[in-house]
Amino acid sequence: MKDKIVLSQGFEIQGADFVRGGEASCQIVEALRDLAFPPEIVRRAGIASYEMEMNMVLYADHGMLSLTVTPDAIMIFADDQGQGIPDIELAMQNGYSTATQEIREMGFGAGMGLSNIKKNSDKMQITSTVGEGTKVHIVIEANGARSNS
Amino acid sequence: MPGPTAKDIHHALRIDESRCNGCVECTKACPAKAIRVRGGVARVLPERCIDCGECFRVCPRRAIIPVTTTYMDLTRFKYKVVLPSPALYSQFGPNTMPEDILQALLLLGFDYAYDKAYTCELVFSDVKKFIEENYSGDPFISPVCPAVTRLIQLMFPDLTDLILPFRAPREIAAKAIKSDVHKRLGIEESEIGVIHITPCLAKLAAMANPPTEEKSFLDGAVGISEVYGSLLGALKDSKAEKRDQPLHRSSGTGINFGRSGGEVAALGIEASLAVSGVKETFNILKAVERGKLRDIKYLECQICPGGCIGGPLTVQNRYIASNTISSLVKLFGRKLKVEEMTDLEEYDRNYFRLASKIRPQAIPALDTDTSIAIGKMRLREQISRALPGKNCGACGAPDCKTLADDIVRGLASIEDCIFVKSGLAGGRIAELKGIRKR
Repeated sequence: MKDKIVLSQGFEIQGADFVRGGEASCQIVEALRDLAFPPEIVRRAGIASYEMEMNMVLYADHGMLSLTVTPDAIMIFADDQGQGIPDIELAMQNGYSTATQEIREMGFGAGMGLSNIKKNSDKMQITSTVGEGTKVHIVIEANGARSNS
Repeated sequence: MPGPTAKDIHHALRIDESRCNGCVECTKACPAKAIRVRGGVARVLPERCIDCGECFRVCPRRAIIPVTTTYMDLTRFKYKVVLPSPALYSQFGPNTMPEDILQALLLLGFDYAYDKAYTCELVFSDVKKFIEENYSGDPFISPVCPAVTRLIQLMFPDLTDLILPFRAPREIAAKAIKSDVHKRLGIEESEIGVIHITPCLAKLAAMANPPTEEKSFLDGAVGISEVYGSLLGALKDSKAEKRDQPLHRSSGTGINFGRSGGEVAALGIEASLAVSGVKETFNILKAVERGKLRDIKYLECQICPGGCIGGPLTVQNRYIASNTISSLVKLFGRKLKVEEMTDLEEYDRNYFRLASKIRPQAIPALDTDTSIAIGKMRLREQISRALPGKNCGACGAPDCKTLADDIVRGLASIEDCIFVKSGLAGGRIAELKGIRKR
């Protein structure tokens, strides 16, 4: 029954907006801290949401990053309209990237994004249609690890 | 803010209520959002203050007073040692040598003046070894600036593990001085006072409120600006005086610790970064948090722009001060004096490393129970939307978002907003009052 208490927040993400790119994940981190999630959980959610956000900035036209929190879990959902991923299995591999030279020169596109998201989440689901967009859904469980400080 | 530890936290500033007129400059300048105007005067929330001194810099009425050590506090010590920050060497121009300054300090009544720049060199030769042996993908963050340490404890709690587990050079020096003086002169350590000459408030606060449970070896601290006048006078005499023992031991590498980049230069590790300034420090720590600094082995952060030479208690313009340091570094060379020194007995190398971990001191969550916290957060969002968003600060909080946060934490009420009070806040307030009644 506890699961009925839910917090939802949505952040609009604009493709190629490097000035504001990263702000949404910062706000997610701040919110999770205020909600008394332990530092390790917040850190994982911060890294995963940052990668999800930057993937949209780098590869999509625009998209939405949503945070849903229940007392037991953190769910982050990225839904974008953009180029999509032709081969998800390949894209999940460490070091694989379709990033252009310009993106790499900015320090992105090392091919660690998706694997980093997976590493920092407990569940990850990804679907994509080439030419339409990509949806990434992750869950970070917060069971039992709640801090009281 | 009521908190179990609030009473125990000591800060290095106090507000002179006879001078404060309740303007909102300090609340706006505070990067930690730790100041509120209440009852017409500024009040510091002790568990949020990071001792950076930004409020002290901006206060137009000089109502923020550093709580430094007074002369009376020092009379209880039989033997008084002064330990100046290397930033002091930058304050008198390139023709005043560190030796002149240390000798001048003796003329002010200290029994001994100790060159902390030398300790910095010594400690960082060990730090270099430590980093090379222990680096495993995340940068080590410098433990030197106490305001940065506190900023991390409060606002980046998950990064406390990355703070280099070394004691600050000033603490290491203070301990070494006490055991050395005791050995040489037979004076009990409790009768030896070690006084730091500091460029900032943060080091004052760190003495009373160290980042770990252990107690500080420093017995007091005085701002550079407080001794500057008398030092200028003493310098004239000290240059003419005959000296029986040289006090200055460091090379240019140690002197360089007075400014941003000094630690990085001393380490000589290519994959390291030096950052200074409050905003810049915030931004780089955010980058660390996102895992963006994984190729960097050492991150030097100083809260003051330009490093300690930009401290709120310094006197000299920091660009001029930096130029003086450049001259001194050139004059004394970068080759570490530590390597040729044999009198290192005073140092216990085991003491360089911290015995206990630096723990997070995160700002309390909205509630320890996540379900209740979620409810409060939703209310906070509603309040935020209802407030005018002009960030005028007249309520006493730095901005509308912070007022909303204070309201759900029970520290303020919506009527503190002058727009709400005067009925100019628009329709959403009515909706909100309904919620609050329920």
